[in-house]
Amino acid sequence: MTALDRVDAPLKVSGSAPYPSDFTLPDQVHAVLVQSTVAAGRISAIDTTAALAAPGVLAVITHENAPPLADLPMTPLGAPPRFPFKDDRIIHCGQHVAVVVAGTHEQAASAARLVQVSYETAKPVLDLDDPRAEVVDNGWGMEVDVGDAEAALSSAEITYEETFDIAPEANNPLGLFTTLASWDSDRLTVHDCSQWPIMTRQALATAFGLPESDVRVLVPYLGGGFGAGLRAWSHTLLAALAARVVGRPVKLVLTRPQMFTSVGHRARSRQRLRLGMTGAGRLVAIDQESTAALGAEEDNFSAVVLGTPHAYDCPNVATHDRQVRLNIPNPGFMRAPGHAEGNFALESALDELSYRVGIDPVELRLRNFAEVHPQSGLPWSSNALRECLQVGAERFGWRDRSPVPRSTRDGNWLVGYGMAGVTFGWYAAPCRARLSILASGTAVLKAAATDIGTGTYTIAAQQVAELLGLRVDQVRVEIGDSDLPPAPQSGGSGLAVALTGAIQVAAANLLRALLDEVAADARSPLRGRRLDEVTASDGRLHLIDDPAVGEKYADVLARHGLDELTADGELDLAAAAADAGVAPAGAFAARFAEVRVDEDLGLLRVTRLLSVVDGGRILNEKTARSQIIGGTVMGIGMAMFEEVAFDHATGRVANATFGDYLIPVNADVPDLDVVFVGGPDAFSPTGVKGLGEVGVVGVPAAIANAVYHATGRRIRSLPITIDQLM
Amino acid sequence: MSDALRQTPELVTLTVNGSVHQVQLDSRTTLLDALRDHLELSGTKKGCDQGACGACTVLLDGKRIVSCLVLAAQCEGREVTTVEGVTVDGRPHAVQEAFCRHDALQCGYCTPGQVMSAISLLAEGRAGSDDEIREFMSGNLCRCGAYPNIVAAIREVAGQEATSR
Ligand code: FES
Ligand code: FES
Repeated sequence: MTALDRVDAPLKVSGSAPYPSDFTLPDQVHAVLVQSTVAAGRISAIDTTAALAAPGVLAVITHENAPPLADLPMTPLGAPPRFPFKDDRIIHCGQHVAVVVAGTHEQAASAARLVQVSYETAKPVLDLDDPRAEVVDNGWGMEVDVGDAEAALSSAEITYEETFDIAPEANNPLGLFTTLASWDSDRLTVHDCSQWPIMTRQALATAFGLPESDVRVLVPYLGGGFGAGLRAWSHTLLAALAARVVGRPVKLVLTRPQMFTSVGHRARSRQRLRLGMTGAGRLVAIDQESTAALGAEEDNFSAVVLGTPHAYDCPNVATHDRQVRLNIPNPGFMRAPGHAEGNFALESALDELSYRVGIDPVELRLRNFAEVHPQSGLPWSSNALRECLQVGAERFGWRDRSPVPRSTRDGNWLVGYGMAGVTFGWYAAPCRARLSILASGTAVLKAAATDIGTGTYTIAAQQVAELLGLRVDQVRVEIGDSDLPPAPQSGGSGLAVALTGAIQVAAANLLRALLDEVAADARSPLRGRRLDEVTASDGRLHLIDDPAVGEKYADVLARHGLDELTADGELDLAAAAADAGVAPAGAFAARFAEVRVDEDLGLLRVTRLLSVVDGGRILNEKTARSQIIGGTVMGIGMAMFEEVAFDHATGRVANATFGDYLIPVNADVPDLDVVFVGGPDAFSPTGVKGLGEVGVVGVPAAIANAVYHATGRRIRSLPITIDQLM
Repeated sequence: MSDALRQTPELVTLTVNGSVHQVQLDSRTTLLDALRDHLELSGTKKGCDQGACGACTVLLDGKRIVSCLVLAAQCEGREVTTVEGVTVDGRPHAVQEAFCRHDALQCGYCTPGQVMSAISLLAEGRAGSDDEIREFMSGNLCRCGAYPNIVAAIREVAGQEATSR
């Protein structure tokens, strides 16, 4: 059961899973965006005459003629994205400046090239060190200051200080973000690439002054998001606006180049890390400061150093989180935001220190293992980091390596092993789920959650089947629709925990409702029974002690003349965490990498990569493993390939295509070994921990550390490129 | 306005999955857009529209191509096979079944293209080793990173074919 094939796989392999761009509505027309070619200044003139006269064109919307929209609400992730059609100002290259709507996509695309925009340009702020840049200090209140890091550093036996640089990366989900918007008088329906239908609904309702109940956001399938679908980006609003203006459904599909500037990215970051250590390899001080890019006039919840304070046992910790506003498209969330970057610095530094103190890198992490949560002093709800490290070292053959850098060769290749420890964060948001048993005896689950490739459909169906004693094919899962009971985003590695927890509550409520139904039913063998006396299997509810005493759901519903029996379950884990007496834990992991570097050519290949992960209870080994290998591949991209090249003078993205911006291809990825350790988490009601992001974290450090072991070169900037290895 | 903008629709005859269709198309319409927007075959996906991702892979006269780089009008008189056309007597193709078993997909957006590419790769005799599979599947990007499972799925089908030969 736990390695069940993904329930939506047959739809996906046959091309019949409907993504937002696959929907077509009668009378639908097409919108294409025109984007700014300068990074700062204002639009001095915008001439749409030629575009309006082009065949098939229905409207050209600009800041000059756009109907006004209300300001979007604050979100738990900060201020909403700036809406660009409010005025004539340009704050980044690629800012949307016009929407052309025409009968066909070809007509719209062709007319979009006829829109003439003139700019009064200003000198853009593009560099983290530009003195003109506005700096936001500790914008999220996530800085930590415990003990006295400064004093501990000055008295430490061994001190370390280095700087780490990470290039901006683009999420680049393969599915081009699409909005198909249609109005039915004052009701708005959008198919949208949202990882958070409830948030998108709220944004649209606010913008257009509608009650939320008159807005519906649909996303049954999403062609990936990796965090890009967590904001109400302006193209979504513009598609809805265009549909209102032309009075017909409008489909807007971003182009691949537009994906680089319209839906966020991993911010460029620079970190200064200082560590103090004893000669015996115990951390006595951590001081980590990050400076990350932010869009002008924008917010972005991304604290690079957020994972460090609880990664290891260390009495003196200070973190600093700075963001610098630049004339670039606003960054956003990209899988494991903050954690991926912060871990690269910390785990690279520990590797460096392992050589200085002469302690094996695995042993060094074990010596600094945090038995309890370092800041709260509370016991972890689960923490198998030690097991991750030990199992990993054993399985990888870590002890066979000669620790001396440049000591292992295979022909022209220098071979290196590297590893990293990973402590992910914990996150949970309130969730509701609605569970019904139908007259046929089958079940339906409804929640406004999404499956962005993570396996939500599958694990939800498995869990309902288990709790109600049904086969998985007797469970229908309905998600991806904002009309369903509110669920949190696919993001922050919090959905699986929240949703499975809410399903568990709903299932208990449903079975209780069933027992209430038969409480006075003389024909029911379950009359007068309590929830704790029964269990479900084979489509029937029966006594735990005497399985013969029970009856089928279908029989109860038929006898009572019910089409369905429904119950909701609600869970707010964040609220429960406050006085739980434990520190709720996210996932832990250890990564082990083997690389080969061609000394003459600087070629770098990853030849083995092992992930040992504590993800709590694993509901489905297949989809869980896929989450880890997927994150690992993205980590390989971060380590070796990915860099959004903002032109230093113009702020233009110089490599906004898949031909120029490299992501890992099949031939870049070796077989990936994944092992799960640990057991059910004690705080998560279902024992589950989130796995969506931890797969990325630690991969860059493990690879960089392996590169050092292979070559003796310490690389502290990502991506690691050939020129650094020659 | 230049003449290039005055596009009169043309009648194009396309043979897709064995059926003949006559469609009025703008001469700029790519095969990909013709399939998706005019023939209601949305199984073939658009990931870049620039020939760089492989999401739009279909077979043209039995060979894999990226359908975003071919104009629909160029396909007259030729056989187009899309993911909707690879089932055998209503049963999924062996490659599709292997993709399900090996979880060779996550979001599933690249999957139709991967499946078509894999079918073609097997026909080309390019599935002789894992390295060969990796190399000749590298035109199909998967941002979800399902690559190891894609290789496992193809390896399995290639093995079955090898033993049944
Ligand atoms: S859509 Fe054709 S190759 Fe990307
Ligand atoms: S499964 Fe999502 S891009 Fe391949």
